[in-house]
Amino acid sequence: MFVRFWGVRGSIPTPGPRTRRYGGNTSCVEVRVDDTLLVFDAGTGLRELGVHLMRGGAKPLTVHLFLSHPHWDHIQGFPFFGPAYSKNTTLYVYGPKGDDKNYQLLSGQMANAYFPVRFSDLGGKIVSRSFSGSSVSIDDVKVTCFGQKHPGGSMGFRVDHEEKSVVFATDSELDQLLVDPDIVQRDASALRELPDDLVSSVHGADLLVADAQYTDAEYVQKVGWGHPRATTVVDLAAQSGVRRLALTHHDPMHGDRDVDMMVLECVERAEGHGVELEVFGAREGVTLKV
Amino acid sequence: MPSDTTEFEDFHTQVAVRVKGFRPVVQRPHMLEARKRREKFTLDGNEYVLGRGDKATLLLDSEEVSRAHAKITRVDGEYTIEDLGSRNGITLNGLRVHAAVLRDGDEVQLGDVVLTYREGT
Repeated sequence: MFVRFWGVRGSIPTPGPRTRRYGGNTSCVEVRVDDTLLVFDAGTGLRELGVHLMRGGAKPLTVHLFLSHPHWDHIQGFPFFGPAYSKNTTLYVYGPKGDDKNYQLLSGQMANAYFPVRFSDLGGKIVSRSFSGSSVSIDDVKVTCFGQKHPGGSMGFRVDHEEKSVVFATDSELDQLLVDPDIVQRDASALRELPDDLVSSVHGADLLVADAQYTDAEYVQKVGWGHPRATTVVDLAAQSGVRRLALTHHDPMHGDRDVDMMVLECVERAEGHGVELEVFGAREGVTLKV
Repeated sequence: MPSDTTEFEDFHTQVAVRVKGFRPVVQRPHMLEARKRREKFTLDGNEYVLGRGDKATLLLDSEEVSRAHAKITRVDGEYTIEDLGSRNGITLNGLRVHAAVLRDGDEVQLGDVVLTYREGT
């Protein structure tokens, strides 16, 4: 299983010299298992993935697109996704059971007032699909969804294939889910316990790609905005037995050096918890083998 | 030629022309530096194989480097390094990766060889 980061920025695209190394495109992650192509989120990084897929000409392509939620930074790349314009493409857009809201909002952003090309003019076959329960099987890959804490709601996804697993969990305000909400004030270095259902969704993942937008100092100014302290994400990974943690959804105000500092702080925290956890910053253009 | 004039070959006609005013930035090549080995490699081709074997186009003479360890390819002016199934893998600034688009200052390690990428213009 290969995981490639196409967009790791949160909230708004942030191109420029300050973000050149980690990248400025918004949320998009490719998970590839042999010929099965799964895409998580359709932020502006999706455009780059489309360019990559179309290189050398349009080929028959099946894409399974999972949206954490339909906020701008998670859907804005879709109208610029080259393969959607090709009649050789079949694109499945997944949503919760009995709910095609994701599909409707994805297509709705291409209404004439927002975009010059209509959704109905796209050449590809674009199909709305729902989870029949909490998981779907695609070829021999299983994708399981779970709810997260975010204004308007968001979904996390777990991908399982032959004993390997990747969890994509962005836009999740973990700090609003703490079993003991006062623990941070009492002892900021203590492990922050998270609910069992969330821990079991993430449990044993070889790679957790998780929203880690704020420093501890920033978070207190942004409670309720839907994003966690990066340090709390470390605690989720630590108590879930995760092997590698990719911090993502970098704040648009954070330059490369700021992200480096957050990663260092999180590495130190993982060491403090005494767990074997590799922590790093998700970066555009990096492919990991899981 | 006056200092405020730039001479270049027209993209469409291949005819040499001169313009006043605008001066493009002087191009600087992308480089890989192996500082401990005091070696520098200029990257100006589209593909390189890094390794210690006969087919390597960028020779890294170390037992910890596989014969064909990694390849570097240029796409849209950017260089990407990719593991070719090497025994010891590739790390990018300490992180084990399968592939990565390179950025200025990146340290890529293949076995015991550390290469620093210097982005050109």
